[in-house]
Amino acid sequence: MSDGKYFSTTKKGEIHEFKEELRSLEKSKKKDGVKKVIAAMTVGKDVAMLFPDMMNCMQTEDLELKKLVYLYCQNYAKTQPDLAIMAVNTFVKDSQDPNPLIRALAVRTMGCIRVDKITEYLCDPLQRCLKDDDPYVRKTAAICVAKLFDINPELVDDRGFLDQLRDLLSDANPMVVANALAALQEIQEISGKDMLQLSQNTLMKLLTALNDCTEWGQVFILDALAGFETRDPRDAEKIAERVLPRMQHVNSAVVLSAIKVILRMMDICQSADLVAAWSKKMAPPLVTLLGAEPEVQYVALRNINLVVQKRPSILANEVKVFFCKYNDPIYVKMEKLEIMIKLASDKNIDQVLLEFKEYAQEVDVDFVRKAVRAIGRCAVSIERAAEKCINVLLELIKAKVNYVVQEGVIVIKDIFRRYPNRYENIIATLCENLDSLDEPEAKASMVWIIGEYAERIDNADELLETFLDTFPEENSMVQLQLLTSTVKLFLKKPTESAQKMISLVLSCATNETDNPDLRDRAFIYWRLLSTDPEAAKDVVLAQKPVITDDVGNLDQGLLDQLLRQVATLSSVYHKPPEMFVSRQRLAVQKADELQDHQFEEEEVPGAASTSTAAVAAAATSAAPQVDLLNLDSGGPEAAAAPPRAVGGIDDLLGGLDISSTSSSTPAPQLPVLLSDPSKGLVIQGKILRQGGTVTYALVIINSSASPLDGLMLQTNRSTFGLGPVNVVLQVPSIAPSSTATALVPMLYDSTKILPGAASSKLEVAMKTNQAGVLYFADAVPLASLLEESGGIEGQAFLNAWKTLPPETPQRLQLTVFNIESAKQRLQAANLFVLAHRPVPGTSQEALYLTGKVGGINVQVLVEVRLTVGVPGMDVSFKSERTDLATMTFEAVAQILA
Amino acid sequence: MISQFFILSPRGDVIIRRDFLGNVPKTSPEIFFRNCKFWSDDEEQQHDEAPPVFSVDGVTYLHTKEGGLQLVATTRDNVSPSFVLEFLRRMCIIIKDYCGLLTEDAVRKNFPLIYELLDEVMDYGVPQSTNTEALKTFVLNEPVVVAPSSSNPRSILSFNKGPTGVFKSVLDTSRTDSKRRDEIFVDVVERVTCTFNSSGYIVSSQVDGAVQIKSYLAGNPPLKIKLNDDLVIGKRDNPYGGRQADAGHSVFLDDCNFHECANLESFDVDRSITLVPPDGEFALINYRTTHGFKPPFRLQTTVEADPMTDSKAVLTLRLWCEVPADRGASGLEVEVPTPRYVQRAHCDLDPKATPGTQSWDYSEKTHLLKWKFKKCQGGQEFMLRCKLTLEKPYGPSLRMEVGPVNLKFTIPMYSASRITLKYLQILKRDKSYNPFRWVRYVTTSSSYTFRT
Repeated sequence: MSDGKYFSTTKKGEIHEFKEELRSLEKSKKKDGVKKVIAAMTVGKDVAMLFPDMMNCMQTEDLELKKLVYLYCQNYAKTQPDLAIMAVNTFVKDSQDPNPLIRALAVRTMGCIRVDKITEYLCDPLQRCLKDDDPYVRKTAAICVAKLFDINPELVDDRGFLDQLRDLLSDANPMVVANALAALQEIQEISGKDMLQLSQNTLMKLLTALNDCTEWGQVFILDALAGFETRDPRDAEKIAERVLPRMQHVNSAVVLSAIKVILRMMDICQSADLVAAWSKKMAPPLVTLLGAEPEVQYVALRNINLVVQKRPSILANEVKVFFCKYNDPIYVKMEKLEIMIKLASDKNIDQVLLEFKEYAQEVDVDFVRKAVRAIGRCAVSIERAAEKCINVLLELIKAKVNYVVQEGVIVIKDIFRRYPNRYENIIATLCENLDSLDEPEAKASMVWIIGEYAERIDNADELLETFLDTFPEENSMVQLQLLTSTVKLFLKKPTESAQKMISLVLSCATNETDNPDLRDRAFIYWRLLSTDPEAAKDVVLAQKPVITDDVGNLDQGLLDQLLRQVATLSSVYHKPPEMFVSRQRLAVQKADELQDHQFEEEEVPGAASTSTAAVAAAATSAAPQVDLLNLDSGGPEAAAAPPRAVGGIDDLLGGLDISSTSSSTPAPQLPVLLSDPSKGLVIQGKILRQGGTVTYALVIINSSASPLDGLMLQTNRSTFGLGPVNVVLQVPSIAPSSTATALVPMLYDSTKILPGAASSKLEVAMKTNQAGVLYFADAVPLASLLEESGGIEGQAFLNAWKTLPPETPQRLQLTVFNIESAKQRLQAANLFVLAHRPVPGTSQEALYLTGKVGGINVQVLVEVRLTVGVPGMDVSFKSERTDLATMTFEAVAQILA
Repeated sequence: MISQFFILSPRGDVIIRRDFLGNVPKTSPEIFFRNCKFWSDDEEQQHDEAPPVFSVDGVTYLHTKEGGLQLVATTRDNVSPSFVLEFLRRMCIIIKDYCGLLTEDAVRKNFPLIYELLDEVMDYGVPQSTNTEALKTFVLNEPVVVAPSSSNPRSILSFNKGPTGVFKSVLDTSRTDSKRRDEIFVDVVERVTCTFNSSGYIVSSQVDGAVQIKSYLAGNPPLKIKLNDDLVIGKRDNPYGGRQADAGHSVFLDDCNFHECANLESFDVDRSITLVPPDGEFALINYRTTHGFKPPFRLQTTVEADPMTDSKAVLTLRLWCEVPADRGASGLEVEVPTPRYVQRAHCDLDPKATPGTQSWDYSEKTHLLKWKFKKCQGGQEFMLRCKLTLEKPYGPSLRMEVGPVNLKFTIPMYSASRITLKYLQILKRDKSYNPFRWVRYVTTSSSYTFRT
């Protein structure tokens, strides 16, 4: 019989059946039972109540059975600390078994049980095992020190385990060395202190061990070498010499870590010849990485992107290997494209352009757009290629594929800005495609071109007029550009029709819009034109600074920081580690006790979302946005390169600032629900209870360049059927860089109740006129749903307690110091205390609580047993909806925390 | 380090789950699955694949896909991503070595064995010994070898790196009963990447190859393998960009690396390698070449106006199979993307062709024309004429908009780089020991594209 069958049963009396089998005297039946329990555990069923029965199976000669029970033990010891103590004797006994496999198994498992009480018993066996004759036991013990440090750092220090670990770095067995090193690195990570304390002596030992280690061990050693602080070029040469051959390894992790070490040593080494020789050796392994699986390729490409920025010569002749393959996944293609742009030079531009042109005719829209932008960026950065690039772009535009045309117009605008007065003869071709432009950025670019070259386009006024018809409906980006271009047209060709247009636009922009940027700019132009038209010319038609292509190039400081992080996640996200690694490790707590929003609070606000977006953001080029911001102003203020063009105008006008929303108000600390940098929108929020109604507290931060309005909120079906009372949010238009808060009253809608197991999940959609519909998910805290009228009579409680299905128990890691204030807090949160009495025969006190969950109108009954001042409390839950247990436990924990 | 490891079925069910550090919430598999499935935020384009590394709420998810399953690792630290991804790939290999193959069924049936392996392979998120051979000492569970389901035969085109057709656990070699069968598979597997420009010249070409060994020899006797005498390895044997590349008939490799078990003492003398093969599947040599490569297929595409009507066009594909006549592709697919304004297509197969060996198919939804061969013998020429019905009158730009044409193929007993195994010797004194030796070659397309 195969083991697959263990997954199949889902009957009700399952637990009972398991128990029977575990108690069976027949060995095979017992083993079967254990396997079934493990299968249930894997699929996420709660089999914690079988702990005593499983423990009884632990004392066995059968190693296979023992391993399975140990596996179970690691999973559930935390929830059953008292019972876990029972297992300690077996562990200690096993750690002295003549069989090294069993000794190691015992130490390994013990370390995985994160129960304080057990750690005391762990020390002696660990001490012994660190000095065991068998390397297998020693290497397991080395890792165990890291486990212990995570639970109780002081203990590790007191017992001198750290020194023992450092001694193991000179062990004869390379596996032991590698694990000791890994353990020290892990401890260093947790404590934030230098635990390795690498000396010249250990350095030499590590270099020797490098060749004999497993591939994983080699990575640990290489990472340690990269962190070795030295200023001595001789050290650098010594290290590099040993590390260089590692770049030939089959394992890409070894290759990348070796490259990191070499890059570090290049900074220290003073001989230019050596650096050149090392660079030369670095190219083939980097190229070889591109033959690996796409996943490995992706990581390699993100790293190469950094290497190329710092040392472009390494891969200068290899641009061909970055050509996209037909079947590359899109994430690989996008990265290759980025590197091709970086490697493009006078020498290879013809080849590269030919490739870009091919890509621009492929099927995937995002990829095509990026390819068109790539052509534009090459034109901007390589002067001699500009003309060729323009020709390719024109050819592409002539094919009249809608999104190619739009993208083409955007990049040609950049090329005009880079090489003014050189390629204006192509404007006619662009003008043929006016009708197909429907994206704001493309439209704004075209309008800018018409305004900038109004004197050379015979029918510039007619062209602009076609856009003006729809002025009120346009996106603000286009509106601003139309305004500026009309002024330019008027100043250059003050014809009658231009006059008519300018008065139309100015009146539209000052009277009929609620966008302060647009209004401000219109007023400026108005005043300028009416007081001194010559000054207006000086301002609006001033010489603009020439742009450069710096998209995707990182700031020098950040680049150097990231280069030290080659071969880590940091190098994939292109963000320093502090941005996505929370300093405070949460390791001691068991994961399932953590609540989602706790995580968010512990992190730097926005860090989580930025790192998520990092990958996506890297894929979309931000160039044109920046450019547009600069050219928006169309005046001399661009020369001063203000961070935001609009801000510059505000300064100019002083008193005319009508925008009322204050910029950069510090946002209240609510969990971030959604952060979409591409749309410039961050939403924070939390569901809470206010004045007897469920309320959604929301903070909306607008970081885009245009105001946000038309906010609407809707929810999906959920367990409690929560929905907003009013779909339209009572929030005025949110100006750029400002924040709005809203308290949205919610109601229960029985049609929105989602049947099935209760879940706190609430899917929310937010709509704005500018950013469209955005989706995010939130968790409804049960505490916000408890009704004020939720109290019941004592007798009713007793009856209910007897008739309801069996209770669900849970142990919470909480300490109550003052039971009266705890009762008050529970009461205030609508968990009504019915009774409070001591538990006979113990120091514990029991609280009986009840509350009513709104929406589904279910009464929940809770018993809490605790000892004042002692950590930990036992909570039991009863209700007709047993699936509410987890949420209720969370609520109790939240109220009492 | 790695916080959790789990394996998800194609439907997102957890079939293996192991938590090492306990600092990532238990719900991570659901969070991962949801994010992976709906990666693109753009409603119209949900085709985007999630990158292999991404982060949600401070947790980084790293994943790889194999046999329809997703192997995922989570972490909160600034780990080395290639380290984790390589580990996941290694897990795939270990499971395949022990369970015979990696499928949902095989994993479900062998879950105690996999947990046992995981216990040895990773401790507290730190990879330990991942060597198939070394793991044998620690494993007690018997594997349940699952034959691949016959209802879903592996398409020959999905032939990827490893030797196929062997679904056998490494633990079989320690059997003492009659079921044991000593055998060794040595496969030269090559993947061809080639791009032709519109005039038919090669723009770029590369062969990524490997000599894959899968050994089921009891007692692990040493082996001796000899490669072609005229093999030249670029960066090893002569300085970068040396002259020898042009020296006529030699097989030239740009770069290659050897497995750690390879003894290269006599490699420079007579191109022979001795090794003690570890159990399980491994790549003895990985290599890459861009030299002296003869493309197995050439293709010419022409697009003309239909003389009868201007709402139709004639697309002609001429294909030459340039492998030796005694070889041939077992499975070939020619894919021609056509522009959106092509409504329908109708093809005439070559009347001279053997009936039933070729077929064609046009999808009006994806506008993709496929020309398929069951078998395609070397040294032959094939032709397909296709009438395209257009929504708008024919224009010369159609020629630009058809394509690029992509070929997918598998050619057994053929190596594009011309690397060959001269002999495979099992160095065991016992004369009666004569296990089965399988030496196979296969060349598949990685990306084989003709631009138009």
